[in-house]
Amino acid sequence: MNEETVVETRGLKKTFLDFWRRPVVEAVKGLDLTVRSGEVFGLLGPNGSGKSTTIKMLLGLLHPTGGEIRVFGAPPNDTRTKSRIGYLPEVSYLHPFLTSRETLMYYGSLFGFSHALARQRTEELLEMVDLQHAADRAVGRFSKGMARRVGLAQALINAPDLLVLDEPTSGLDPIGCREVKDLVRLLAKNGVTVLMTSHLLADVEDVCDRVAILDHGELRANGCVSDLLRKPDEVRFTVGGLKDGAATELRSAIETRVGHPVQQDYPSMSLEAFFLQVVASDGRRRAYEVAPFLKASHGRKEDVCP
Amino acid sequence: MNCPFQTDAGTVRRILGVAGLAVRASLRTKTVVALLVLLAACVLILPRVVRGDGTPEGDLHILLSYTLGFSFGILCLSTLWSSCALFAAEIENMRIQLSAVKPVRTIDFWLGKWMALLAMNAVLLLAVHAGVYAQARWRIHRSGGIAAESLTSRHVTHPVLPTPRAEALNMYRKLQEQNALPKGLSKNTVLQVLEQKASERYDVLNPGEPISWTFRLARSVRIGDPVTVRVKFDTEFSTRELVKGVFKLSTAQRPGAAVEVKLDDFTQNEIEFVVDTRAFAGSGAPELRDFALTFVHAGDAKRSAALMLRARQDVVLLTPGGSFVANQLRAAAIQGGVLALLAAFGLMLSACFSLPVAAFTATVLLVLTVVGNSVVQTATEEDEKMWYNRFGIGVSRVVNQATSHAMKAEPLKALSRGERIERSVWVSSVLWNGVLIPCVFGLAGCVILRRRELAQGE
Repeated sequence: MNEETVVETRGLKKTFLDFWRRPVVEAVKGLDLTVRSGEVFGLLGPNGSGKSTTIKMLLGLLHPTGGEIRVFGAPPNDTRTKSRIGYLPEVSYLHPFLTSRETLMYYGSLFGFSHALARQRTEELLEMVDLQHAADRAVGRFSKGMARRVGLAQALINAPDLLVLDEPTSGLDPIGCREVKDLVRLLAKNGVTVLMTSHLLADVEDVCDRVAILDHGELRANGCVSDLLRKPDEVRFTVGGLKDGAATELRSAIETRVGHPVQQDYPSMSLEAFFLQVVASDGRRRAYEVAPFLKASHGRKEDVCP
Repeated sequence: MNCPFQTDAGTVRRILGVAGLAVRASLRTKTVVALLVLLAACVLILPRVVRGDGTPEGDLHILLSYTLGFSFGILCLSTLWSSCALFAAEIENMRIQLSAVKPVRTIDFWLGKWMALLAMNAVLLLAVHAGVYAQARWRIHRSGGIAAESLTSRHVTHPVLPTPRAEALNMYRKLQEQNALPKGLSKNTVLQVLEQKASERYDVLNPGEPISWTFRLARSVRIGDPVTVRVKFDTEFSTRELVKGVFKLSTAQRPGAAVEVKLDDFTQNEIEFVVDTRAFAGSGAPELRDFALTFVHAGDAKRSAALMLRARQDVVLLTPGGSFVANQLRAAAIQGGVLALLAAFGLMLSACFSLPVAAFTATVLLVLTVVGNSVVQTATEEDEKMWYNRFGIGVSRVVNQATSHAMKAEPLKALSRGERIERSVWVSSVLWNGVLIPCVFGLAGCVILRRRELAQGE
């Protein structure tokens, strides 16, 4: 494992057993995976493909049946390793009786922060996720989106080097999704390695540098998003302000050149982009601004997949 | 290599963070509030419901034994059940996942939760003791100070006698000389039986006969300090008979001087009388340490029954031993130790099982501990004929053996009888129950937690 490797699994296996120790499900079957420093890595797959199991093994919450896991070169249960990781689970596992401020202070205390440092980071993160107005409200009374934002804030309280996001946009409205995706990109630019799972392929495509696709516990594909999705035989031109007649002439010329029919269409914006344009145009919601302590803690990284 | 017990400021903050969360959880889920209401009802209502013998002293006895006992019972159950919930519920509702991925060692989690239980118990226990003390003072004030002397703390001195072990050895030698040792039993078994007999041995006192004991105080008393004699007589068939006689107390520090007290009471009663030590004032030493007590059975030779008493248990000398408040604090410390043990035990079960299983196991073991002693003592050979009885008695014996040391100190009995809880008793109880056993449970709990998976798959 070199310095740039953040997560490495070799032959990782996980078999769930029943009460009598009989194998029930082989959730992960010999997974080899490498996540490099500074990249946004997406773990994709249908339900039951082994994504969450893999992530939970990386975090030390589940014990592998076989194979090896190294996170920052150490086993996942090493406390020094854990101090560099931030984790946002798919479901909010926050304590409902704590306020959002108390929640962040509590998780800050688990990193051994002094009261002053925990307080400073808490306030910066509350501002970052736009929850100052609800800082003293119990998390149990929050909407799913608000609870998700508190969850995201707690995952960032230690300025992690590795951020593990399990379905980060689950339950969020399109604006919330956009904000999270923007934040992930911002954090990645600031040098944070992000490992995320998602069902929403568009989300993954938007933010991930590299992806791995799991199915029935096996790795089916692995590589840079741009490489995996590229169609090397096809070329698309996008030209603005072209009259219909000129377009037809151009098409005929290309058809003559390549010797077969060419498809002509009029690109439209995505529904997400349109929604955001309509709903967010009044400036009620703003994009996340990375908390100052997060900017200061990481060096900026170049693109992983050039 | 990192030492697992290494501490630094960060570790302390982590432990305090975990403890703070557990305390907040108890306060915000209103568990503590419900407990406070229950304890307040116990402290305020129980003494009005349970009647003593009608005397102010009897009322105080009820307050110090029943009220404190019931409150302690409630705290025991609440501690056990809440400790059973601490890990089990967090694992069940997956909330532990967010904490477990943080750089916190298992032992820090365990300590944080245990300390939270300890802190809450300390506050509640002190509140109960303060409430009981305030009520006791108020009752004394209302009764015009009649029972003021009941709130006392006195050293207990037993007569100077050979130890049961020495007596057993002596009896063994005699049996050996007479060639009367039971066959087929090991020396150790015979000695154990003889030791038990020696510690329970009754002295028989026929009418007209005297009996004497000598006492050597661990701490001498000054002239003028009250010395109390406590004695309890019995008869062969435990009948209630009139006891008539004369006690005579003398001291080696003032030869020739003696105090005589006439007795006219009943067997089965715990008879207490105070001797004014100013009677020993004179040219001798200002402090008194060695006493001799003689009792002459003055009952009618034909009509009075022979009296019996166990010298090791039924006759003691009580001398001033500090303030009642200090004694009450010692009792509270012993109870706190037991609560710490229960908290540790519940946390260990919580690390092993789900909440219902942990709570059920804990409750069954607690009940066995409480009733096990009487089951073992009252079980006869007849009872052990059926296999299920034999099994039940066997389990009771094992639990009784395992918990005998932890349950040895009886702080409320001492408190309500005005007996000082000696340092050796409370320090050993607190160390054993509050530190050593919790350490063992803590280590076991941590090992289990580390091996346990804290999440489920997809």
